[in-house]
Amino acid sequence: MAENQQLIEGNQTYASLDTVIGDVVLDQRRHKLPWLTTFGIASIFALFVLPLTLAWLLYQGIGVWGNNIPVGWGFPIVNFVWWIGIGHAGTLISAILLLLRQQWRNSINRFAEAMTIFAVMCAGMYPLFHTGRPWVAAYWLLPYPNIMAVWPQFRSPLMWDVFAVSTYFTVSLVFWFLGLVPDFATLRDKATNKFAKYAYAIPAMGWRGSHRHWHRYEQAYLILAGLSTPLVLSVHTIVSYDFAVSIVPGWNVTVFPPYFVAGAVFAGFAMVLLLAIPVRALYGLKDLITMRHIDWMAKIMLTTGLIVFYGYNLEVFYGWFSGEKVETALMQWRFYGPYAWAYWLLIFCNGIAPQILWSPKARRNIPIVWTVSFIVTIGMWLERFVIIPMSLMRNYLPSSDRMFIPTFWDFSMFFGTIGFFIFMMFLFVRFMPSITIFEMKDLLYKLGADKKPQSDAVGAGEAH
Amino acid sequence: MSHAPIAPKIYGMVAEFETPDQLVHAASRAKEFGYTSIDGHSPFPIHGMSEATGFKCNLVPWIFLVGGILGGLTGIALESYVSILDLPLEIGGKPLFSLPSFFPIMYECTILFSALAGAIGMMALNGFPRPYHPIFDCPGFERASQDRFFLAIEADDPLYSEIETRRFLAGLEPINISVVEEEE
Amino acid sequence: MEDQTPNRLDMDLVRQKLADKRGPAYWRSLEEIAETPEFQGWLDDEFPHRRTLLEIDRRSLLKYMGASLALAGLAGCRGMELEELKVVPYVKQPEEMVPGKPLFYATAWTLGGVGLGLLVESHEGRPTKIEGNPDHPGSLGATTAQTQAAILSLYDPDRSAMVLNDGDGSTWDAFMDAVAAEFSNQKAVHGAGIRILTEVVVSPTLKAQLDGFLKVYPGARWHQYEPFARDNAFDGANLAFGQPVEAVYHLTKAKVIVSLDSDFLQDGLESVVLARQFAEGRRKLTAEDMNRLYVFESQLTCTGATSDHRWSMKPSSVHAVATALLQSVRSQGAVSPPKELSGADFNAVVQDLLAHRGQAVVIVGDQQPPEVHAIGHALNVALGAVGQTVTYHEPRAAHAVHTGRDLKSLVDDMNAGKVDVLVMLGGNPVFDAPVDYNFGEALKRVSRLRIRYGLYEDETTDACAAVDGGHSWHLPATHFLEQWSDTRGYDGTATVAQPLTAPLYDARSPHQLVAALAGDGAPGHDLMSDGYQIIADHWQSSGHISGDFDKGLAEVLHAGIVPNTTLAPRVVALKTFDAAPPSTTGFEVVLRPDPNLHDGRFNNNGWLMELPRPMTQLVWDNAAIISLKDAETLGVQRGDVVQVTVGKQTLAIPAFPQPGHPVGSVLIHTGFGRTKTGSVGMPTQHQSLMGFDLYAKTVGVDSYVLKTSGAAAYVTGATLTKTGQSETLVSTQIHHSMEGRDIVRAGTLAEYLRVPSLNPDKLANPPIVEQGDLDTGVPTETPEQPNIDMYPEEIWTTNLPQWGMTIDLNLCTGCNACITACQAENNIPVVGKTQVMKGREMQWLRIDRYYGGADPDNPSEVLVQPVACVQCEKAPCEPVCPVGATVHSHEGLNQMVYNRCVGTRYCSNNCPYKVRRFNFLDYSNLQFQFTEPATLINKIYKKDGVSLLKMVSNPDVTVRGRGVMEKCSYCVQRINDARIEAKKAGQEIQDGAILTACQQVCPTKTILFGNIADKKSEVFKSRSDERAYRLLEELNTRPRTSHLGKVRNVNPAITAQEGTA
Repeated sequence: MAENQQLIEGNQTYASLDTVIGDVVLDQRRHKLPWLTTFGIASIFALFVLPLTLAWLLYQGIGVWGNNIPVGWGFPIVNFVWWIGIGHAGTLISAILLLLRQQWRNSINRFAEAMTIFAVMCAGMYPLFHTGRPWVAAYWLLPYPNIMAVWPQFRSPLMWDVFAVSTYFTVSLVFWFLGLVPDFATLRDKATNKFAKYAYAIPAMGWRGSHRHWHRYEQAYLILAGLSTPLVLSVHTIVSYDFAVSIVPGWNVTVFPPYFVAGAVFAGFAMVLLLAIPVRALYGLKDLITMRHIDWMAKIMLTTGLIVFYGYNLEVFYGWFSGEKVETALMQWRFYGPYAWAYWLLIFCNGIAPQILWSPKARRNIPIVWTVSFIVTIGMWLERFVIIPMSLMRNYLPSSDRMFIPTFWDFSMFFGTIGFFIFMMFLFVRFMPSITIFEMKDLLYKLGADKKPQSDAVGAGEAH
Repeated sequence: MSHAPIAPKIYGMVAEFETPDQLVHAASRAKEFGYTSIDGHSPFPIHGMSEATGFKCNLVPWIFLVGGILGGLTGIALESYVSILDLPLEIGGKPLFSLPSFFPIMYECTILFSALAGAIGMMALNGFPRPYHPIFDCPGFERASQDRFFLAIEADDPLYSEIETRRFLAGLEPINISVVEEEE
Repeated sequence: MEDQTPNRLDMDLVRQKLADKRGPAYWRSLEEIAETPEFQGWLDDEFPHRRTLLEIDRRSLLKYMGASLALAGLAGCRGMELEELKVVPYVKQPEEMVPGKPLFYATAWTLGGVGLGLLVESHEGRPTKIEGNPDHPGSLGATTAQTQAAILSLYDPDRSAMVLNDGDGSTWDAFMDAVAAEFSNQKAVHGAGIRILTEVVVSPTLKAQLDGFLKVYPGARWHQYEPFARDNAFDGANLAFGQPVEAVYHLTKAKVIVSLDSDFLQDGLESVVLARQFAEGRRKLTAEDMNRLYVFESQLTCTGATSDHRWSMKPSSVHAVATALLQSVRSQGAVSPPKELSGADFNAVVQDLLAHRGQAVVIVGDQQPPEVHAIGHALNVALGAVGQTVTYHEPRAAHAVHTGRDLKSLVDDMNAGKVDVLVMLGGNPVFDAPVDYNFGEALKRVSRLRIRYGLYEDETTDACAAVDGGHSWHLPATHFLEQWSDTRGYDGTATVAQPLTAPLYDARSPHQLVAALAGDGAPGHDLMSDGYQIIADHWQSSGHISGDFDKGLAEVLHAGIVPNTTLAPRVVALKTFDAAPPSTTGFEVVLRPDPNLHDGRFNNNGWLMELPRPMTQLVWDNAAIISLKDAETLGVQRGDVVQVTVGKQTLAIPAFPQPGHPVGSVLIHTGFGRTKTGSVGMPTQHQSLMGFDLYAKTVGVDSYVLKTSGAAAYVTGATLTKTGQSETLVSTQIHHSMEGRDIVRAGTLAEYLRVPSLNPDKLANPPIVEQGDLDTGVPTETPEQPNIDMYPEEIWTTNLPQWGMTIDLNLCTGCNACITACQAENNIPVVGKTQVMKGREMQWLRIDRYYGGADPDNPSEVLVQPVACVQCEKAPCEPVCPVGATVHSHEGLNQMVYNRCVGTRYCSNNCPYKVRRFNFLDYSNLQFQFTEPATLINKIYKKDGVSLLKMVSNPDVTVRGRGVMEKCSYCVQRINDARIEAKKAGQEIQDGAILTACQQVCPTKTILFGNIADKKSEVFKSRSDERAYRLLEELNTRPRTSHLGKVRNVNPAITAQEGTA
């Protein structure tokens, strides 16, 4: 109990929770200069850089990127896998931790789910546009009867991707929305501004907190969590099949599925911390996202990080143990080739840097945790770069070896999606409760916090 | 504390409480008293309410299950029909029915269908979306989603009577009691 | 201008003009025909002194005209240029023309003084593909890369499209008026002021015509010049035999071949027949049958790579080797071995030669000085080769002159002011003449008429126009597929070449032009004289065609050769001559014609520009090719610019260190760095944005600045210095080592006879040799690898033919002909240097090149390996395609469904052979971006040209759009064609009925294609050969293409030191 106490700090009441969380949305005065500037910068990338890049891409074809033969997949797929990975923390936190009855999840799951949705949006952009002709890819990849009597080819991992990613997106969206309904109702009832009232009334769908509804609602929410858990594990497994199923040296490794999933969680938690830390500072949510949360998330990062690092070592071992000349050559290329810096930097970012989190002091030191999360986020991108283009640069026939050099448009699209992501996150924080209100109340109730003596319980609502 | 003495149609009588425990306690008392159509409203799920009111409904899990089964079958059926009957192609020397390659999509379909069926089914059972409900007219009900807990005894309850019910509710020491009319 | 109304026209005049108008007649307006002052005025408006206008306007304007004329011209295309009166609209179908079914016409092409008999494919009068003429002794059905690409020049939008007078647009009639006026003056002095400069003339008709011209104007002179004519060879023959004879080799009879710096397997059109003969001697792998090739060369060539023993040395050192060989052969034993190779090795070579008297031959390269040629001849005499492996004939060329000296005398006359009228038939002397002649300056002394007749407006055109005083004329020449002509093949066999189409532009054939000049010059008369008639008259008078002439000529045209016209052998007697060793200092610079661009005449041909040079794999550039040692001492990497200084001449050019290149010599190819040519060959600058390379600099530098008349062969006394700048040189292969993998299998004949296998595993533990099936003579197939597969072996059981291919690395010389043939057959676009730099070349077929041995400076062996899609039976590319755009046919083809492809590029990633090509940009429609960035502006500005370029497309093959993957299809269009033919004949497809483009063009018959399910087929036999292996078969991809390992006929006495695997 003493431990759990730290999950909510300060003298919170149901009403004060509403205020702390709800006012972030309802009280505009909270959105000051830092919000506006960051949002401004993000929107430049989201609304200008990204569309411009895509326009040029569609006009010219993917030749504007650095891709070539043999490196058919360059930045776009690197970024795709990177974003998908980031998108994993959300559902994982909500679903798995819910099943494991980890109450500490309540204050971060909403936030993480939103992250998932937007990350998957960014990810989804890449496979679509990296064909250079999305208008074809978009509908030829879907199975539907047509006049040409052609269908997709279901043996292709890319086809599996289409299903996995779209399913993941849909289910995450549903999960997220369900969680929001009661909070929309709260905001609806709390809002004073008429427009806001209507705006929240519509998605609230007339939620009135009847215990019958709560009954079914909880059943559904729990089962949905149960479904999301195998889903979230399957998605990155299937993404890893894109590589593991092929015969490309450096790709056809059986260790990929587990270490891709671990990597996804790793990256996901890093991103949650990366965003949650400034947000909790910016919006005074320190009482709800406490040091304890940060500490636990850091622990998870450490664990998954170790799994990922094990994966790297296994790759090296495989390269040597398989006795395959090609595999060995590839490993040496990673160690000593022109892109060796990427490999060693990766080892530092994902292998060395997280080790500092062994120390509890470090785990509770905000700057350190944030820096590590940042390093890890970079490291995870490098991992995909090392796996995808760097493997493709080397071939069974040395004659076809070629270097891959990214172009301006490779970077502009990458940063464009980052901008888009931050843009969406800010809109989310601005317009939706970034912490699940009703679950926090539930938690408060379970912790018996409401029994604490309160100044004036009756007028708690009006007090603020 | 004022309400219309005569109303064309009454939805029911609503008592407002301050803590979840009071609500649960009230609900169980009402059940013992013999009330059948009781409805409780709270800002967060209160465990024990369903037991207290004797409400049972396990339809939702079944919807999920059926949805899942249907999804899985749809997935494998689609893949088999396409790859064997409608568009049989020689692909890398693999057999037309290559189950290992078909499994992932079948799996994803299972989850997709199950999740959608469950979510939509739950909404349907709860009768959402329902923008208007009489109880919204209950004074102070906006706090039902914030920090108050309401117990409604509906007018269609056989034991419902203006006086008895009020007395009964009053015995539960609510913050206040109000009769809610149903709009025409 | 409403006062100039048509009713002012004299309609009678119009009709009359139309009546005597001949040749394709197109007119914009009645005014034009009437040539009324209004029209002249309008013309002036359209071309107001265009010299002053911007280059771009000028060129695009020309192209608009070119394109429109071309389209009009095509509408009236016939297989051959018929008499115009007979032209009928296409309502009644001409005989033997089935729409959609191509017709083949025999014709011939001439390059570097050698003719090659061809069959050209024509779709409804639109020539699309060039093949060799199997009946022609110089072709035997094969061609070279340049020949394949010649078709593209026909449709080149940058071709010279109209007559230019002093740089302004004009007409042929105007030209004839000018000529008539000038020549009438010249009549008085018997044409003493007239000079005619041609390239090396092979055409018997043209020779006769020019001789006729000289009769009309006795004072006139006819000069020939070509930068890479056979000057040294003729001088050498003169030195050895006292007469300029042409050596014709018969390598089929040769068991030992010594190449003294000669790339006879790749260089020039004669390489086609020589390579075929050479290959015949390497098919049977027995000590008796297999020939042996020794190469002493000053650069790494295809011949050197194919050889059994190769020594690289400075060009000047070849002389020493030749002399030593001659002395040793004469004295029956090795004396004074040259320092380039050890005494033992040298002795071994000598003994080998002596052991094969009458079966040995020595071939000397054209870039070697006359002395070495003389020694070569002497060696052949000493070896009793004459009459056996080599015969001497009168030259193919009309006059066996030393073109260098010939040009000199012309330049002297010009400088002396003796030349009033200079007529230049082809060639580009201002660009490629020796610098010390300073031809451009001399032109200024040609006071009255400077007439240039050529396929392109080039440096010479500009130089002529730049001179003030007198007048300059540029006359558009016909492409060889647009004209009646004739030529002589390698052995002298004459061919009457017929046109495949009417001229696309307002061009005339050289025969028409000379006829006009020789005639009385009545305006518009002789120029209209029928090119056909000129040729026909010549051959009628020549008397080679017996019987009814028209019938006879028809047969000759059909066959593509004129019977018994081979040049008579000459009896030669060896004179004593002194062959002083060359004095040499410093670096030696060898200027060679670019393997693709020749002397620069193909400079505007995208296919050739982008075709990787043999060995260097360099595209779009020339470079200073030096040895690795020299690169080290100079401290330069690939692309670092070095300053080559010869006397006063300097040249800054990026260096290209090349394994196997001799120390102390620089090889530089010519034909690049043009100052005036089409848009493909024009150099552009490097561009970059924010540190990202956008467009690489193209294309090469002009190396003729180092060409001086003094040096007969190569320049000595050069110095190389590092400049510090650096440029991007793009080569399509960056890794040159097999890294110990089992990719190209090679071995020595001795070893192979002991254990008949090249399989490393088998060699590790030799198996029992399978006995061939004695009844059929078909060897039992080498056991397939065990089936390692989770799926049943046979998914589809079918009795359809199963297509397969074999590539015999023993025969492949790496000459690149197959690549260009594939490009022409399958509508493969050119993508430009920048795209190749990024790794996006589109050629479906590539020739990998690997070096063997420990010493990078002098690799013990160089291996070439053609690789296209091997059509895996268990293709890794197929299961990964999400839309089923690449699937397997029941005949075992790995098919690409272009219009289903969405462009995920997963198939390419998963292809272990990396033979798939992707349209990263809209290459097929952006053909203008060879050298320029693909901006909207030049998209508009070049559109017309592209529409013309598209006419070269093969209608049987889809043109791929942007974002689509493509790859080798085993020429499925040809398979289908053969299937239809077989159905019509009601029989199975016969073995050999299908020739893939690469197979058909190959001079050495390296490639075999056919039905591997048919145990009798050639391809099956070859597939079952002991040397056959499937590339990367350990991946269980089951390729349908097998490679046959290379077996070198190494001289056991030398094995230890050279040429071992």
